[in-house]
Amino acid sequence: QNLKCVTHNFHKMICTWDVSPRTRHGQTDFCYTTNDLPTPVCFKTKEKRIEIPVPHSSSTVTITTNSISGTALASKEFKIHKKDVLFIPVTPRILSLTPDFSTSTLNLKWSDNGSVFPDGLDAVWQIQILRKETMEKVTQVNYHSKLTHEDIILSWNWTSDMPLECTSHYVKIRCYINVTQFVGVKEWSDWSPVEVIPGKDTDPSESGVFPLDTVVAVGSDVTFCCVHEEGQNITNMSYGSKPYPMIQLSSRSHAIRVLNASASDTSGTNVVCRLNNEMLEGTVLFVGYAPDTPQNLSCETPNFQIIKCTWKPGRPSGLYGKRRTKYSLFERTSGKNVSCEVNEMNRERVCGFPVLPDQKTYDFILGVSNPIGQAESSLLVDITQRVHPKTPEKLTVSENNSTSIHLRWFINGSFAQIRLLCQIEISSGHSEQKLHNVSMPGGKSSAYTAHLNALHPYTKYQFRVRCSAADHFWRWSDWSRVEEYTTSEA
Amino acid sequence: MAGADSPSAALRRRDLCARGIRLAGKMRSDVVNLLDAYVERQGLDASASVAAVEGVPQAAVERWDEQTGTQRLLENLAAYRAFRALLAQMLEEQREQLGEADAALGQALAAMLLQVSAFAYHLEELLRLESRGPPSEEEDGPPPQPQGLFEQKLRGLGVLRELAQWAVRSARDLRQLSKPGPGTGSAPSPSESP
Repeated sequence: QNLKCVTHNFHKMICTWDVSPRTRHGQTDFCYTTNDLPTPVCFKTKEKRIEIPVPHSSSTVTITTNSISGTALASKEFKIHKKDVLFIPVTPRILSLTPDFSTSTLNLKWSDNGSVFPDGLDAVWQIQILRKETMEKVTQVNYHSKLTHEDIILSWNWTSDMPLECTSHYVKIRCYINVTQFVGVKEWSDWSPVEVIPGKDTDPSESGVFPLDTVVAVGSDVTFCCVHEEGQNITNMSYGSKPYPMIQLSSRSHAIRVLNASASDTSGTNVVCRLNNEMLEGTVLFVGYAPDTPQNLSCETPNFQIIKCTWKPGRPSGLYGKRRTKYSLFERTSGKNVSCEVNEMNRERVCGFPVLPDQKTYDFILGVSNPIGQAESSLLVDITQRVHPKTPEKLTVSENNSTSIHLRWFINGSFAQIRLLCQIEISSGHSEQKLHNVSMPGGKSSAYTAHLNALHPYTKYQFRVRCSAADHFWRWSDWSRVEEYTTSEA
Repeated sequence: MAGADSPSAALRRRDLCARGIRLAGKMRSDVVNLLDAYVERQGLDASASVAAVEGVPQAAVERWDEQTGTQRLLENLAAYRAFRALLAQMLEEQREQLGEADAALGQALAAMLLQVSAFAYHLEELLRLESRGPPSEEEDGPPPQPQGLFEQKLRGLGVLRELAQWAVRSARDLRQLSKPGPGTGSAPSPSESP
C-alpha cells in the first residue's frame, strides 16, 4: 500500500511503499511501464524503495511480494500520474557559518545545487536562526534566488541583537523551488543539519561581560550579557548606576537589554555584573554621535608653502581618545592624503596641507570618521586666490628728507607667483588718519619697501602696514606692529 | 642599619626619615583625593570590591614589628618602583582612552606619578646610607594588560587604594626607622630575636 514517488530533480523519482507484516521477509518484484516503453522494466528487490525515471505522463507499476521460498503472495498494480509525483528539492547543505564577533554578525554560505535543474527557476530559501540552550527560534527569513543551471554559492548575513558570545546561535536552512511547469505536488525540502556558533557560556574557562568595550550611536538599543563560571550566581546587572531586569540565556549566561542609550560620559558607561562572591565583571559602553558633515570648509595659504583648511565640526561626537573623530584631507589631483591632528577639546578645527610644486588648483575632500559613522566635505580652490599673508614684521622707517620717508618690512613666505597689495596706515597727532595703498611684485621670503612723500616736517607719525594679494583679494594680513617716527625740521 | 652609625650618618638618616614621613603624608592625602576623582570620573562605585591586582604590592604585612630597617626600606622601595610602573601605565591608558577629554584626571595621575618617583628616589637615598645601597632595578616588563576597559578601571582603583595603604605604612616604617636604638639596624640584635 501507500505507494509514494518523490523526485528531487524531475528526472528520477524514488518510489516507496508499505507491505503487510506477513509478507515483509521475502523479495519483491517491481515492474513499471510507460507509453513509450515497449515492454515493462522489472527489478527484484528486498528494499521497499526503488529509483525509476519520472514519467512524461504516467507510469503503471506492478508490485508483487513473494515468500522467502519465492512463491508470489500478493500483487498490486498502481497507476502513477505525473501529478501524483512529489517534487521535494534536495536538502540544502550549509557550506560555512562564520561569526564576526565584533559586529555580532553571522555569515551563512550554501550551495544552491542549481546544476540539477533547468535554468531560470525561482528558489526560496528559508533560513531559521535559533538561540539559547533551549534553541528558541529567534527569526525566520525567506531568501529568494534564481537558479542558473550551475551550482552557485549563496551568501547571507544576519546581525544578532545580542553579542554572539552571549549564548550559542544555531542556523538551519531549507528550500522550495517554484516549478510552474511541473504538475506534481511541490513541497519544502527537509531542513539542513543545524550549524552552531557556540557561545562563551559553553566554554568552562570563559567568563565576562559582552560586548566588550563597544561604541554605539545615541538612541541605540543594546543587549549585554554576563557569562559567569559554573557554580557562580549573578546578584545583579547594572548599566551606569541603574540595575536592570535580567533575562536568562543559559545556566551560565544572563542578559539585560538597554533601550535608547543616551550619550555616555568621557570614560564611557560601565555595565557591571555583580556575582555572589562579591566579584565584579564588567564592560564599558561608549555612546556618541556619528560625525556631522563639516560646515564652512575654507582653505587659504599664508605663505605658498602650506595650505591651512578650517571648518566648523558641527555637533560634538561625545567620543574621545582612540575613539575620537578623526579627520583627513585628501587632494584628488595629486592623490595626496594628509591626516589632521585635531584637539577634540577646542572647537576650532585646522588642518595643514603642503603646497605642491606646480599646482595652483586643489580639489580637497575633508574626510571625517569615528567608530559610529563618517562624513565628508569637498572644496575646489585656486590658492593664488586664497592668499592670507602672515603679519608683516620688522617694520622700519628711514628718512629721505623732512617730508619724505622710506618704509621697509618683511613678510615670511614666498609670494613670487603673485603681486602683493600693501596698505600703510599713517597717523599723527593732529591730522586725520590716512591709508596709502601700494602694490608690488611678491618675493620669496624677502623685504618690501614703500616710499611716502608729502609729510609734515618735525611731526611725530605712527606707521603700520598690512598686506594681501593684489589680484583676487582674499583677506588682509593682520596689521604689523606700529612704528613711530618724527620727521626732521624743514 | 649597617653597624653603629657615625653621628653625621644618623643625623642624615633622621633628616631623610623626617622628610620621607612628610612626603608620605602628602602622598597619602593626594592619593585619597585622586581616588575620589578617579571613582567619579570612571563611573565606578566607591564601595566596589576589587580583587588583589596582579603586580600591585600588598601593603598589609605580617609581623610588621619584627622587620629590620633594611627589610622595611627594601619592601618600600620595591613597592614604589612597582607603583611607578603601574601609574605610568595608567597614565598611558588614560591618554589612549580619553585623549584631552579629561585633562584634570590626567594631570592628577601625572602629579601622583611624580610623587611616587620622588619617594622611590628618597628611599634609595636612605638605602645608600647603608653599605649595600639600593638594589638595581629589575626589568620586570610592563604590568599585565587587563582584558577590557572595565577591568582596567577596576585595576586602577585597586592600584590607588593600595597606594593609599602604602603611604600610611611608609610613614609608620619611617617613624620606626627614625627611632634610635635596636630595631632600626639591618640585622636584628640578639635582644630582638624572637
